[in-house]
Amino acid sequence: MADSYRQTTQAKLARMGIYAMLFLLALWFLAPLYVMLTTSFKSLDDIRSGNLLSLPQSFSLDAWKTAWDSACTGVECGGMKGYFGNSLKMMIPAVLISTLLGSLNGYVLSMWRFKGSDAFFMALLIGTFLPFQVVILPMAQVLGMLGLENSTGRLVLVHVIYGLQFTTLFFRNYYVTVPSDLVKAARIDGAGFFLFFFKILLPISIPTIMVCLIWQTTQIWNDFLFGVVFSSGDGQPITVALNNLVNTSTGVKQYNVDMAAAIIAALPTLLVYIVGGKFFVRGLTAGAVKG
Amino acid sequence: MGALSIRKVKKSYGDTHILKGIDLEIENGQFLILVGPSGCGKSTLLNMIAGLDDITSGEIYIADRLVNNLSPKDRDIAMVFQSYALYPNMTVRRNIAFGLEIRKVPKIEQDEIINRVAKTLQMEHLLDRKPAQLSGGQRQRVAMGRALARNPALFLFDEPLSNLDAKLRVEMRTEIKLLHQRLGTTIVYVTHDQIEAMTLGERIAVMKEGEVRQFGTPQQLYDLPSDLYVAGFIGSPSMNFIPCVLGEADGVGVVTLNNGKEDQLISLGQISDIQRPFVGKPVILGIRPEQLTDPASAHSDHPNMQILTAMVTITEPTGPDTLVTVNINGVKTVARCHPRAAGVPGQSVQLSLDPTKALLFDPVSEKRLA
Amino acid sequence: MTVNSFSFSRFVDVTLPKVVIAPTALACLVGFYGFIGWTAWLSFTNSHMLPHYEWAGFVQYVELFGNDRWWQAMWNLGVFGSLFILICLALGLFTAVLLDQKIRAEGALRTIYLYPMALSFIVTGTAWKWILNPGLGIEKLLHDWGFTGATFDWIINPHYAIYTVVIAGVWQSTGFVMALFLAGLRGIDDSIIKAAQIDGASLPVIYTRIIIPSLRPVFLSVFMILAHIAVKSFDLVMALTGGGPGFATDLPSIFMYQHGFTRGQLGLGAASAMMMLFTAAAVVMPFLYSELMRDRRG
Repeated sequence: MADSYRQTTQAKLARMGIYAMLFLLALWFLAPLYVMLTTSFKSLDDIRSGNLLSLPQSFSLDAWKTAWDSACTGVECGGMKGYFGNSLKMMIPAVLISTLLGSLNGYVLSMWRFKGSDAFFMALLIGTFLPFQVVILPMAQVLGMLGLENSTGRLVLVHVIYGLQFTTLFFRNYYVTVPSDLVKAARIDGAGFFLFFFKILLPISIPTIMVCLIWQTTQIWNDFLFGVVFSSGDGQPITVALNNLVNTSTGVKQYNVDMAAAIIAALPTLLVYIVGGKFFVRGLTAGAVKG
Repeated sequence: MGALSIRKVKKSYGDTHILKGIDLEIENGQFLILVGPSGCGKSTLLNMIAGLDDITSGEIYIADRLVNNLSPKDRDIAMVFQSYALYPNMTVRRNIAFGLEIRKVPKIEQDEIINRVAKTLQMEHLLDRKPAQLSGGQRQRVAMGRALARNPALFLFDEPLSNLDAKLRVEMRTEIKLLHQRLGTTIVYVTHDQIEAMTLGERIAVMKEGEVRQFGTPQQLYDLPSDLYVAGFIGSPSMNFIPCVLGEADGVGVVTLNNGKEDQLISLGQISDIQRPFVGKPVILGIRPEQLTDPASAHSDHPNMQILTAMVTITEPTGPDTLVTVNINGVKTVARCHPRAAGVPGQSVQLSLDPTKALLFDPVSEKRLA
Repeated sequence: MTVNSFSFSRFVDVTLPKVVIAPTALACLVGFYGFIGWTAWLSFTNSHMLPHYEWAGFVQYVELFGNDRWWQAMWNLGVFGSLFILICLALGLFTAVLLDQKIRAEGALRTIYLYPMALSFIVTGTAWKWILNPGLGIEKLLHDWGFTGATFDWIINPHYAIYTVVIAGVWQSTGFVMALFLAGLRGIDDSIIKAAQIDGASLPVIYTRIIIPSLRPVFLSVFMILAHIAVKSFDLVMALTGGGPGFATDLPSIFMYQHGFTRGQLGLGAASAMMMLFTAAAVVMPFLYSELMRDRRG
């Protein structure tokens, strides 16, 4: 009798311990976000007199205004707004094109196999393990040869090409679970390649399309390497601009502006994560379990 | 004028031969069953009739048209699948209309056809539902409705009842048979279930390893199977195969059956010319459980009904009769007895054997010795 | 009705899929494998500012292997990589096991643990750069809490700077590892656990002896992905330390970028890129091989 009582208190203590640890972990994960936010609302005096965790003495939106309008990223001093626009202009077409092509490719690779299509899929799969460093030198040459000077155009092209491996993977892995009888029934009914795709397959692909859109949006918006290599000056995406802002020291370091700029850069993907969280997780786990 | 003609059709992938030469002919309005274990090639053959798979060599004629190079939609066929294959994002009505739309059938006619089909299959109340909202049996009905709406020369069924539970399967089987009687459609039906094959088919092709082992009516397959495989495949519980040596006494074939204790001499019928070379050699005696029963229940008025005694190993009551397992010549042998005459394990029973129904098989070639 | 031996619709059925996939095939073959070959060729030339395509043997590799900075970068990668992978695995697994205990706020907690993955590494680097700021960051916080003698200047300390990269990297990626392990834990057959409970095993024993070993495939997947992230790491270090102080946090990816793009050493940059490829392949190949073997057997 005493034994079982001890066990239940033991169990209770263990559970409290678990909750405590999880709570501490949550604090650790949230801390940087908290710090970024509070710092962005502080004045430079606040920052120097207070510490990381202290709340702003005088709540101010000045850092935000500067970050958006007039912060200096190297030579230019126009704030993040231009670069935010660049990222948008690059991201939207790249996401849409790579998703559409990915779905078509996945469709072909799963339902219209022909000699070499499986080998091609393997080649594509192996591509996902490549560090991009091995392709950026030649790509830079090719972009120059093509005469493509516009930064946004270059980035869209590059992101589409190197995004295709993931989008094709997502769709192909989903489409192989669609019963092959469905294609047969459609062929007997007379639906050809495109009719089947648009009228029957796409309507049931919505979850996978969501996963793909969210994954691509996150990857492309957050990218830095392609941005820093293939774009220049005014055409750079916001990640490059942020890095320039934070790492070019002209005069006094404005930590509050840095933080505000970082949050501005992070907002779109954070929003996508909050709104489409479960699709995001599906994308992560699907990409990982590709095997 | 044949509805379907398959001539010397072969299918191979490189060195693997899936179908080794199929020849089948059926008339208009007949119900053909392709039956066999998985891997025998029946689904492949069906896919080739439908045009979903290429033909390596040979010819297929549907309603006297050579269809080898026609795509599925031009072959005037309709198909019902094991997984129903209904378009998930469309209502039942649109599922049926889809093929008609592609064919550019006028809208008024489309509606007429849909209503007619819905009435025939009693699914008017389902027309505006989506497949996810239907039960298995209802989905199967919609799949058949979609096929009916096409009014084709040939209906193809690919194991349509395999996904249904046992009770529903029996119900749908009867419905399909009724539908066939009413509409007089030509059907090719693939199944691995020999009961479905026997109850539904007018002509059955028993397949194994890419060949048709026998093609005939259900009764022909049951009474006169061409080889051991067909004999064992048709009928449940399956035919007993007892190894023994063929003897002769005054032109009549005799075999010695040992029940574990003593030898018993059983007379069969007159020895035929084909059987004669096997006298003195090992053969396999095939006798169905239905033809091995207790003497009181034996129906045949054949004057030479043979009686044999054996010891019961186990009994399995099925309700209308009891399956009694004995041991003959070292082989498990099953008999169907009246429940009250079955005996208990360890007990000795008398079994009556109808020699007119007994078959002899060559153990080496596995063919029936006619 | 006449029958012809050539069917247009059959022809379309057969060629259209190939046509559709052709652009991607081209992009893939050229953009991946073609470019790898190109980079490889470059690594065997004497290119500096502009590419020259005459064969120059292993000259760049010799220079690379004699380059102190390169070895420092590889060393840093080794230190960072192993710590990053180990800590992420341990922390991720630990968190997943905790979350698997039927926790009430599981959904909310998972969202919190995973959100860092939605951020760019630049944002992460920027945030942690501020937090680890020598005068105003954690050090000041400790002072304000009463630990007046405490110092926390790892980020500018050549001996400890690399660990700051580990901290930031772990913060970003643990949630992802946790998500994978949680999915793996959830996929374990309940009946095995019930059998163990009937056998009398306690919960910790069940975890260590039965559950964790059966997560082997997840371990391998996670290891591979983390290794891949580590080898590719570029954004995080650029934002956090810029590779400094000195070359204390330099990585092969930074070496490659600087030599290939800002210093006009195309050949050397190409050689370093090829070395990165080999490193990534060396980690991934054994895994792929074992997967292929498993597929063939299974």
